[in-house]
Order: sequence, then structure tokens, then C-alpha cells
Amino acid sequence: MMKKSFAVSICIILILLLVVGCGQQTPANTENASEGNEVTLTLFHRWPNEPFKGYFDGVIQEFEKQNPGVKIKVVTALNEEYKQKINVVLGNDNSPDIYFTWVGEYANKFVRGGKALDLTKYVEEDKAWSDQIIPSTLKPFTLDNKVYGVPVLMDVRMMAYNKEIFNQLGLEPPSTWNEFIQVLDKLKASGAIPLGFGNKEPWNGGLYITTLNQRLVSADVLAKDNNRETGEFTDPGYVVALQKLQQLIPYVNENPNAFSREEERNMFANGKIAMMPLHTIEFPYIKDAKFEWGTFNFPSIEEGKGDPSVITGAPEGFMISAQTKHPDEAVKFLKFLTSKPMAEKWVKETNVISTVKGAVNSSNSTPLMVETIGQVEKASDMAIWIDTILDGRIFNPYLAGIQQLLNGEKTPEQIMQEVQEAAKQVKESAK
Amino acid sequence: MKIRNIAPYLYVAPSLIIAFIFIYYPVMENVQSSFFSWSPFSDTKEFVALQNYTRLFDDSVFLVALKNNLIHLVISLAVQVVGGLVLAAILEDVVFRRVAPVLRTVYFLPVLISISVIGLLFSFIYNPDIGLLNKFLAMVGLEEYARGWLGDSDTAFPAIIAMGQWQGIGYITMLYIVAIQKIPPDLYEAAEMDGAGKIRKFLHITVPQVKEISFVTIIYTVSQSILTFSDVYVLTKGGPGNSSQVLSTYLYQKAFVDSEMGYASTIANVILGITVVVYLIQAKVFKNGQEG
Repeated sequence: MMKKSFAVSICIILILLLVVGCGQQTPANTENASEGNEVTLTLFHRWPNEPFKGYFDGVIQEFEKQNPGVKIKVVTALNEEYKQKINVVLGNDNSPDIYFTWVGEYANKFVRGGKALDLTKYVEEDKAWSDQIIPSTLKPFTLDNKVYGVPVLMDVRMMAYNKEIFNQLGLEPPSTWNEFIQVLDKLKASGAIPLGFGNKEPWNGGLYITTLNQRLVSADVLAKDNNRETGEFTDPGYVVALQKLQQLIPYVNENPNAFSREEERNMFANGKIAMMPLHTIEFPYIKDAKFEWGTFNFPSIEEGKGDPSVITGAPEGFMISAQTKHPDEAVKFLKFLTSKPMAEKWVKETNVISTVKGAVNSSNSTPLMVETIGQVEKASDMAIWIDTILDGRIFNPYLAGIQQLLNGEKTPEQIMQEVQEAAKQVKESAK
Repeated sequence: MKIRNIAPYLYVAPSLIIAFIFIYYPVMENVQSSFFSWSPFSDTKEFVALQNYTRLFDDSVFLVALKNNLIHLVISLAVQVVGGLVLAAILEDVVFRRVAPVLRTVYFLPVLISISVIGLLFSFIYNPDIGLLNKFLAMVGLEEYARGWLGDSDTAFPAIIAMGQWQGIGYITMLYIVAIQKIPPDLYEAAEMDGAGKIRKFLHITVPQVKEISFVTIIYTVSQSILTFSDVYVLTKGGPGNSSQVLSTYLYQKAFVDSEMGYASTIANVILGITVVVYLIQAKVFKNGQEG
């Protein structure tokens, strides 16, 4: 009997431990915050990989040195994982103070959910800081004339071409659609694969359409359709855009849906394909190419209603949580991150374009990069990726449709019909 | 005396509490959340009653995913359970005694490799340009069948299923080998005396004798098949054009890309429902899961 009661009491203790362990959850941060005047900020970004991680660690070290009493804790997750985690952490009360975001509907949903701090006041108070940021990159972080985020880097999609092949055939970078098709014809006649297209991850096709839509549809209509409350996608330009993409199918590598983006890039770097749309973020991957290459902005389209000087690209940056207890310190960190010395360091270490004026210069970048940023600074606006500017419920059928278009399973009209239906649903749910 | 009465309950209490907190409570939460329309960013949950469920039937992507799941289920049962049993019987046959240990390792090895590695391996095999499969077809003169396997809506999902079978069959085979080894040899000897051939011995001794383990393997295969996620995610992410979407990848897309948590919960409940129904049918057919 003794033994049994001993066993029972052990059992009870174990159960109690379990209940206690599961029941109580004291937030770990409260202790830190109350300790003296020390402020701890949490930064959540999407770069557990080098060289980006090293850059952020360096900046934080420098910032902590200059601001004693402020500590920054970093949490990271890579792209897809980041998208998943940010949804979870912003949903509960323990959200990070500063977090990374893409722009467009992706960021707007944070704003609508009251997860992003209104930064207008800070931007207006400190003109010396805010004026040195390229204005076209600040614009996508603005909703209803209020600024909700600080752009830090920028990615731009240009058409890259193999200069060696072009020179051999006596070709010039085309500036209009008809010239573009002529160039493609000549390239094809020479036996080369004119254009690379790896659409296994469907965003790639989506970005072709981002550019084509911008060229073909007038800016007002595009702005209206990109807004979830007014989107309709009934402009005939959208169908034309898909038809233009269809027109490119004979010139791209076979089975575009079976090739990944990496394979597309490798084919270009090996000189197997003559042209591909390349992101500035991807420039370092091509640096080993044994030929000279250049870039040009996507050609204008003769019947298009959009401004042909617009560049396809988007800034990326940080937002501050509306629940943060230390908004001033958080803003201070973002200001530090976008100060010119830090921005130059960013460009030097990561080879990615910074949103600070003059940060990309001949001391830290290739001439090609400097030329590209020149075009960005001149451009009045940017065509932002379709898969961040639109609601997932609209861009998912859109991207899936483009894959089917490439396989010859759907017509442009059918795709737009589906997109229109999706837009209608989103519009209803936005009310 | 009183202690004796409550003692058994105390012993099972810890596991019951854990099961309740981490399994049954979330399941109930999930059922509840499927009646609402909400995103992780909105503060309000809108009650929509059964709208999420009626929406399933109009959702063409959901129907494709459901169809794919069922195809996956049937093929997995045929290849892994039936194929695994046949394979185990062959490996246990006297003829193969010598090479059986080597072959067992060969068949079991894929089970131990991480799915991401296997995904990478198979995307090389299916690659239209440098892929082994197309090279092989060209070698045996079947070039016209070469294609971009994962980029073609007709072949993307079968290609994924094939990878799953290659990986999964080893585990089931291993379970059957153990079960077959437990069958008393005198049964086979008696059958031989009566003049039974190999096939008859397999059908009339091996199959009934491994009935209990079949219950386990079928449950295992069904639940693995219904929950297939990584195979699809690493190879195609549901593309091209949603043709290889399965329920769990679609759930993921709805929850984490489209932020439609309520609808995602609904899909999760469908998965749960299918699994429970399949389990009940099976438990009925096999009477119960008891040994003996």
C-alpha cells in the first residue's frame, strides 16, 4: 500500500507540473524592459544568409555603440518562411518592433489591420533625412497620404542581353515592341535561343505581365485595378498584354514551366540564351559570365497607353509595429539604417541597390549598376510586382493562368475572366 | 481501497491531458474557426456559418486538389501496400535468401533520405534539358515521349506520385518482412505437402497471416497520402496552373499567402473528415486492430 500511494503522489506531482508548465506563460520581455532604462527592440528581417546577415549585424553593433541603452534583438527567416512567420507573429500581441515588408497589397494589409505605425510625422519633421531617400521608392510605402514604412533597398527588373551575340549579328537593343520582335526573329534565325523563360515558380511569368500591363494599360486604370476596393480588370489592355506574352512563346526555351529561375539564369550565364529579364539583385550571379553583357529597359509598345519610361521594380523596407513601446528608438534605428554611410556600406557589401540618393556610385558599384540607378532616379514611377501589389486571391489564379497559357491550355480571355471574377470577390470582401 | 479505484485513471491521466491539450483542443478550435471569415491581421471575425463549406464545391482548385489526393491515395495503396507485400514475400523467398539483406537495404535507403534532398534529385531526373529520364528515353529510342515532366499539366502530378512511391515502398516492405518472418514455417511446410505452389502459398498463408500488420500499413499509407505536402511543395508548388495542387498545399496557400484563415480551417477539416471516414471503414472491414 505504501508503494502504491507513493506512486500515486508522484503521478499527481507530474500532472501538476504539466498543468503548471502549460498554464502559465509569462512574457519574457517584461523583465528586460523594466530593468533600468535599457530599451530592447526586436528586429525581424528576411536574411539569415550572408552577406545580408553580416551587414545587419554590423549596422546594429554600430548603432548600439552610438546609442548606449538601446539593444536590438534580431530574428530572421528566409523568404517563404518569412511570409509565413510574419503572419503569425503580427497576429498575436508579441509582435516585433521593426519588421521587413514588401510593398503593395502585401504591406497594405498590415496597415489596414492596424499593425503598422504611421510614420508621417517623423518623415515631415526630419526633412534632411527623408529628402535623401529617392521619392519614387517612398511612394509605394504610402497609403492614403500617410507614410507607413521606410524603404531600404530596391530591386529592378531590366532586360539583360548578351553583347557578344548581339554584336556578331549586328543587333541593337530594341526600344519598341516591333523592334523587339525583329531582334527575336534574327536571333532565332541564327540558331540561338532568343529569350530565357524559367516559369516553374510562376512569379516569373507574373513579372512579364507586370511590365506588359504597365505598358498597355493607362496609369489611372492600373491604379484603380490594383486597389482591392475598386479592382475590376475589365480594360481590354490586359487581354492584349497576355496576347503579347503569347507572341513570345515561340522565342523562349521549350517547356518554360519546367525550368526554374536558377536554370534560366545559368543558361544565360553560359551563353545559351541571348536575352533574359534580370533583376539587379541577381547581377552578382552573372558576374562569372565569359562575355560582356548589358541591360535595357523593356521596350515600349506602340499601341500602349502606359508611360514607357516606367521601370519594373519595387522597393523593400521596414515597418514599425503599431504596438511598439519605443517608437522613437525604432525610428532612430531606421534613420540610421538609411543614413548615407550605412547605405553605401549596404551597396558595397551586398551589391543590391539602396534607396538612398547617391549611395550607388562608382566607388562601390559597377558602371552597369550606376547606369541602372540613374534610370530609376529619373523614372517618375515604378511598376510593382503583380504578386505583391495584388491580393493573393487575385494573383494566384492570374499566375496559374499564365502557366496554363504557356502550356496552351487557356486563352488570354479565359484568364482575364477568372481574374475579373476573383477581383469581384475581393472587392466584395473589402467592403 | 479507494486509491485502488482511482489509480488506473491517474496512470492514464497524463497522456489524456497531453492528448487533449495538443490534439483534441486544437481540432475543436479549428472546427470553430471554419465557421468564420478572418485573416491574421483583422481584429474581427465575421461569422459566416456554413459559407466556407458551400464555397468548397464552387472552388475549382479545391476540386482538383481533392481529385489529386484521391488519385494519390489509390495509387499509394496499390503500389505501397500491395506492391510492398509482394516485394516482401519475394525478398523472403528461399531463392533470394542470399541477396535479400542487400536488397532490403536498397529498398529501405530512400526512406532515410530527407524529402528535400529527394526533391532536388528528382527535379534533376525530370529536368527537360539535362534530366536522366529524357536522356534514358532518347537512349532507348522513345524521344517522342520526352517532355518537361514537371512543366506539363498532364504529367506533373503523376511525376510527383512516382517519386512518393519510390520513397515510400521501402518502409512498408520492411514492416511486411518482419511480419512474414513471424509466420510459423510449419504452415508453409503443411501447404507444400498438400502440393501448393508459391502463388497459392502467398495467397492462402502469407496474406491472411499478415492481416494485422496490413491494418497498420493501410492506415499509415492512407494518412501519409492524405497529408502529402512536401513532395508537391519541393517539386512544383502545385503548378503548373494548379494542376498538381493537393489539399494540404492548397490549405497552405490559403492560410499563408491569401490570409484566408477560416477557409483554410475548412480545408483542414475536410482532410480530417476524409481520414476519419477511411479509418472507420477500415476498422469495420478488419473488425478491430487487435492482435490475434
